Amino acid sequence: MAEATKKLDDQVLQWVTFNLENETYGVNVMVVKEVLKFQDIAPVPGAPDYVMGIINIRGTVISVINTRRRFGLHDREPDDNTRIVILEIGKHVLGIVVDSVAEVVYLRGSEIETAPQVNKDETARFITGVCHREDQLLILVELDKLLTEEELAELDN
Amino acid sequence: MSFFDDEEILEDFLVEAGEILEQLSEQLVQLEKQPDDKNLLNAIFRGFHTVKGGAGFLQLNAMVDCCHVTENLFDNLRNGHRQVTAELMDVVLQALDTVNGMFAQVKEGQAPDPAPQTLLDALQALASGEDVEAPVADNPEPVAEDSTDDMSDEEFDQLLASLDSADIAADAEGSISAGDDEEITEEEFEALLDQLQGKAPEPSAGSEPSAEQEPSAGQKPADTAKQAAGASSQPSADESSLEPAGTEQSASASASGGDEITDEEFEALLDQLHGSGSHGGVPSGAVSAAEKKAEAAEASKKEKAVGDKADSAAKPVSAAKPALRAVPDSKPAASAQPAAAPAAAANAAAKDAPETTVRVDTRRLDEIMNMVGELVLVRNRLVRIGSTAADETLSKAVANLDLVTADLQTSVMKTRMQPIKKVFGRFPRVVRDLARNLKKEVALELHGEETDLDKNLVEALADPLVHLVRNAVDHGIELPELREKNGKSRQGTVLLAAEQEGDHILLTISDDGNGMDPDVLRRKAVEKGLMDRDAADRLSRSECFDLIFAPGFSTKTEISDVSGRGVGMDVVKTKISQLNGTIAIESNPGKGSRIEIKVPLTLAIMPTLMIVVGDQTFALPLANVSEIFNLDLSRTHVVDGQQVVTVRDKALPLFHLRRWLTHQGGSDAIKTEANVVIVHVGTQRVGFVVDTLIGQEEVVIKPLGRMLHGTPGMAGATITGDGRIAVILDVPGLLKRYAA
Repeated sequence: MAEATKKLDDQVLQWVTFNLENETYGVNVMVVKEVLKFQDIAPVPGAPDYVMGIINIRGTVISVINTRRRFGLHDREPDDNTRIVILEIGKHVLGIVVDSVAEVVYLRGSEIETAPQVNKDETARFITGVCHREDQLLILVELDKLLTEEELAELDN
Repeated sequence: MSFFDDEEILEDFLVEAGEILEQLSEQLVQLEKQPDDKNLLNAIFRGFHTVKGGAGFLQLNAMVDCCHVTENLFDNLRNGHRQVTAELMDVVLQALDTVNGMFAQVKEGQAPDPAPQTLLDALQALASGEDVEAPVADNPEPVAEDSTDDMSDEEFDQLLASLDSADIAADAEGSISAGDDEEITEEEFEALLDQLQGKAPEPSAGSEPSAEQEPSAGQKPADTAKQAAGASSQPSADESSLEPAGTEQSASASASGGDEITDEEFEALLDQLHGSGSHGGVPSGAVSAAEKKAEAAEASKKEKAVGDKADSAAKPVSAAKPALRAVPDSKPAASAQPAAAPAAAANAAAKDAPETTVRVDTRRLDEIMNMVGELVLVRNRLVRIGSTAADETLSKAVANLDLVTADLQTSVMKTRMQPIKKVFGRFPRVVRDLARNLKKEVALELHGEETDLDKNLVEALADPLVHLVRNAVDHGIELPELREKNGKSRQGTVLLAAEQEGDHILLTISDDGNGMDPDVLRRKAVEKGLMDRDAADRLSRSECFDLIFAPGFSTKTEISDVSGRGVGMDVVKTKISQLNGTIAIESNPGKGSRIEIKVPLTLAIMPTLMIVVGDQTFALPLANVSEIFNLDLSRTHVVDGQQVVTVRDKALPLFHLRRWLTHQGGSDAIKTEANVVIVHVGTQRVGFVVDTLIGQEEVVIKPLGRMLHGTPGMAGATITGDGRIAVILDVPGLLKRYAA
């Protein structure tokens, strides 16, 4: 996505920013369906460990992904700022739990830098770029890479 | 990715042809029983004809070819040139299978493979077998023989053709009608297609050539069309103006008859025809007849002569005869003369009923269903609030809402209902083919075809039922000789019945065949190593019958292509349990077997037992629950490392759901008492220790979503009255995943 935006000559994209353990992340606004206050998530016994459970949104059951675990962070008790961001990625609708949701920012393609390729661990997979903004580092994530190929394949089956 | 230009037309064709093909399979089997049923022959002919027309429009030439020869064959059959024989039926059924195969290919967006040449040749040979003799030109007699109980397409094609060719009647002598569709003008062709939904105006090759023109043909349809347009209920009004059909033989062009109806009338007529014509189905003969007449009228109005040969003058007469029968109240004038007039009146009456059905995408229905489910939940919450608030107006409004939502829910549920006929319809063919293969004589009886059940259920039941019926024919019914020796009639009977019993549907498959011997089943079970002799001997009678549902159990020593692989029955069982249904067998050796399947009316709503494990609510399908009791935990035993509880002298394994479903494990297992739910899966019974029992609740099943779909032991989720989520447990899956 980041590459594509560069090619398109400084296209302005909107990003929803959220916080997880002192870092700010950005996700393309087009994939965000809605943002909900934290609500009880019903765990599903036997589900993969990255799935926290399911929630009810107006009659539809939606799986919620444990973002902290995916990002290699420790679990944390939800508080008043905790949000569930509902994403629509391709055919999949899923929720991610984040510490808080901040704002929607406008970024030019030229402002986005490629992420430093220091570590090869699995978090790097879905980080598409970084952006310095008001002395803060915004990490742009591409959430369709939040799940591994195999996991997506599993979903498609 | 399709090679078709017009997706919409293709879509229409797929729906329509799909229905026709389904019907054809039924009709063909019926035909074998009633080989002389003209109605049936005509209906089948029409079916192939319609499919051919649609396929031709979409340029599915392979399909057209196959339908065409089959249609020719049926044309001969219904004209009495050939008799229906079992061999002929084999070829025809094969042809239908081929067309079905092509249809499936088209559905997937591929070009259909051409039919095997051998099949086409066989059909061709059958079709051309006896139709060499043509009736004498001016002799109306063969037509009289032809007199059918219904109007056929061909006859109306001919009626149309005779009209069209009125102007050029001179060269009408005995020429062959093939290829007249090339000469028909495009306008007409399109009009025809519109009205006939894909029927091409192609008189069959088998039509008898006749030198005579029907003089009044043009006049009559025009008149009758006029009548129809005016929805006249007095068919005899115009009778006097009609020429006696079979007697007058002047070739004068009566196309001017078309001028008698005004454009408006004609439009109105077409609209009506179009509306009522789309109902399709067998009784549409009369309707399509009216359509044909309308075309005739139109054609004559335009005075567009189609270079066609003249068709049998008396054809319209034969069409008229049944028409008379169809409207017995109308005064039958001299013999066949009043012709199409009463028929048109009847059609006009039929047309008065406006179209009452609508095709709806099932996904849309599912959405509505989902929303109604939500509404029910909101209502539940409101009811709860209303009961605590002391506001009378509020509680009144809530009570009202309560009623309306309940009605709405039932209505929406009903829209998803389909008659089980949809599944039953395929069985005559299945039984027929199988019986022929196995050289058995089997009659299939169907009862309660109108029983409605959820659309998804109808589809899900198809495979298990096919399997059970095949089993009944293959294993149940004996060979005719054996049956005679045992003092039974040569022909065995398989009865397939459906009826609604309260909130579930009872399906029974019974046969008067050989039945099953519990002792044989016991012996087999031991031979197959499913259990030891002692265990087998202890089995009760019904448990013995249940053995046939065990994987790898088949009493047939030989493997046939029908059954005998021993994989079928356990699949049937699994499938039925997935539908929250039960299956039971009763059998008397020598007398026959009876299999009863009970499935819920709908899959969308399921009665459950709500339980609490840890701090979470779960729902156990009530179909699996046998009993609930309070257990003193000190009275359990451990057998071979497995905790067991004795219920009425039977030791049942006991499982703590807390250990399976929560992370806390058995940390607080020091409890002295526990709630135990005894669940059963097939013949297996186990006890589940749960923390709290909430009670019975009917829940709307929500799928878990793609990510969690297929999680072992979890059937879905539901939303409880307070808006929280409860996971619905899938007991067989749960046992498979955790108890193994």
